Amino acid sequence: MDYFVLIIAAIFVNNIVLAQYLGNCPFIGTSKETGVAMGMGFAVVFVATMAAAITWVVQRFLLVPNDLGYLQTIAFILVIASLVQFVEMFLKKAIPPLYKSLGIFLPLITTNCAVLGIAIICQRKQFSLLETVVFSIASGVGFLLALVVLAAIRERLEMARIPQSIQGTPIALILAGLMSLAFFAFKGMTS
Amino acid sequence: MKEMIKMVVVLSLICSLSGLTLASVRGVTKPFIEEQVLTYVQGPAIKKVYTGNDNNPVRDRKTFTLKDGAELTVFPFLKGSRLGGVAFESHGRGYGGEIGVMVGFSYDPASDMADVSGIGITTMKETPGVGSRVNDPEFGEQFKNHPFKGMALKSAGGDISAVAGATISSTGTVDAVKTAIATFNEIKGEFSSTWGSQEQP
Amino acid sequence: MNRLWKEFSKGLWNELPPFKVVLGLCPVLAVTKTADNGFGMGLAVIFVLTLSNMLVSSVRKVIPAKVRIACFIVIAASLVVCVELLMQAFAYPLYQQLGIFVPLIVVNCIILGRAEAFASKNPITYAIADGLGMGIGFAMSLTVLGAIREIFGYGTLFGVQILGSWFKPFTFMVEAPGAFVCLGLGLAGMNALTNWQRRLKGLDAIEGPKHDCASCGMCNIK
Repeated sequence: MDYFVLIIAAIFVNNIVLAQYLGNCPFIGTSKETGVAMGMGFAVVFVATMAAAITWVVQRFLLVPNDLGYLQTIAFILVIASLVQFVEMFLKKAIPPLYKSLGIFLPLITTNCAVLGIAIICQRKQFSLLETVVFSIASGVGFLLALVVLAAIRERLEMARIPQSIQGTPIALILAGLMSLAFFAFKGMTS
Repeated sequence: MKEMIKMVVVLSLICSLSGLTLASVRGVTKPFIEEQVLTYVQGPAIKKVYTGNDNNPVRDRKTFTLKDGAELTVFPFLKGSRLGGVAFESHGRGYGGEIGVMVGFSYDPASDMADVSGIGITTMKETPGVGSRVNDPEFGEQFKNHPFKGMALKSAGGDISAVAGATISSTGTVDAVKTAIATFNEIKGEFSSTWGSQEQP
Repeated sequence: MNRLWKEFSKGLWNELPPFKVVLGLCPVLAVTKTADNGFGMGLAVIFVLTLSNMLVSSVRKVIPAKVRIACFIVIAASLVVCVELLMQAFAYPLYQQLGIFVPLIVVNCIILGRAEAFASKNPITYAIADGLGMGIGFAMSLTVLGAIREIFGYGTLFGVQILGSWFKPFTFMVEAPGAFVCLGLGLAGMNALTNWQRRLKGLDAIEGPKHDCASCGMCNIK
């Protein structure tokens, strides 16, 4: 498959949050400030890529040869949970500045459905290892993009007067809907 | 230290219990899942390749062992408990990977007359909009009630026109059909003994 | 008995997920294209949530605190695999429709959130009541949201045509943007209702439930 098409499709056309509905909890939860959003976004890119690559290996060399394909879900979530723990310990020891900026987001990522979702999508589409890595980086970047844009809009919104019932989560969801509508225009660019 | 041991024991106990449970659930559901997958994944393709049968091809399926040891699941089409044709899946090499093709045959055991009754694509990874057009009706229609003779692309001396710009995908599909014809000729002798016994007195 | 009813019924209205307790948004958005998809997903969540609450509560005393999250994840994931297998065996079309959101039930914060916040601290009967109540509440919300989107998006309800031929489907509703906007308006409506009720009682209006990660309980772990 053409990698350029794969990347554009993952970032814009099938944006992981706005078109595939994955990772909405952190999308709404950590989009109040651009700084926080950046940190969360990069943490997702980083973990999702590693997780997708490792789960690809697990699926290919552990589950499929032993006819354990039905254990995919449980194996993947355990891999991701331990990976997150490991990355956290590693960053704390080896690269303290990076740990300072990403550290608080790492525990949240175990239950971020974008990470598990990307790993499963790569399996369902039967990607090769290289395609998996490219796809998961691009999907992570798509998440980062959507998150930072929403955070920027919400920062502006601080100044606006909004009816009380719509403040907070409702307006964030409606904004996400409008962004999703904008991203909808990318449909038809591929295929 | 004691806590450490407890942690390990509890975790491994929970994991082994969950493993046991899942293995047994898997054991119980396996035959049902197989049937469902065949009905909903291959079922639509099977329906497309043959008309005029009144049985459920998925339920009446049988598995044959080929000469090279591979196993093949064959779906029969019966009309009033008389065998009218069969279908099975075959594979060819496409541009993006393997192309799966469900090939239907009309077959009359008494006169040994057989034609390809139709094809349906089951799996493929071809380029969207180009190679994927082997799945379009215009291409598939050419195989409807097609005799075994002339089953090749026009460029190879047959009478199938390739999808424009997608020679590799078209060749892959035709190759899959050709493989299916060879397989059909190999096992067709066993068909009437397998499904013929259901004939009413 | 009284407490049992309280634990059960709180999920049906006072703490109705995802409107009053904003949890597990991904499936809410993704599978509410039609009412029956929402209902099917709701059933799967009821199954997993009730059993996971039951199991977590029954082993809560033997699990060492340090590895409890790992244990919860194993329990939840095993149940999800069970659901996957059962759904494939007996409701394959639904399994195809829900796609990757069936395995993703395991990371739905409602499961681990309830395990951590409730089941690991309460006896087994209350844990079951809580799981059942929350699950049914979640299934109701999904079905209602699915019904609204299906009616406007396709003119059908549970696959049955209910609007006449004059109706031109409002496709926006069944695509991704519609999902976000519908859920946002639903939450807003719920907040407005709460505030209206409070005003009737002579109380001040309050801000709606926050969705920061604190609401799922997983994030303040450790």
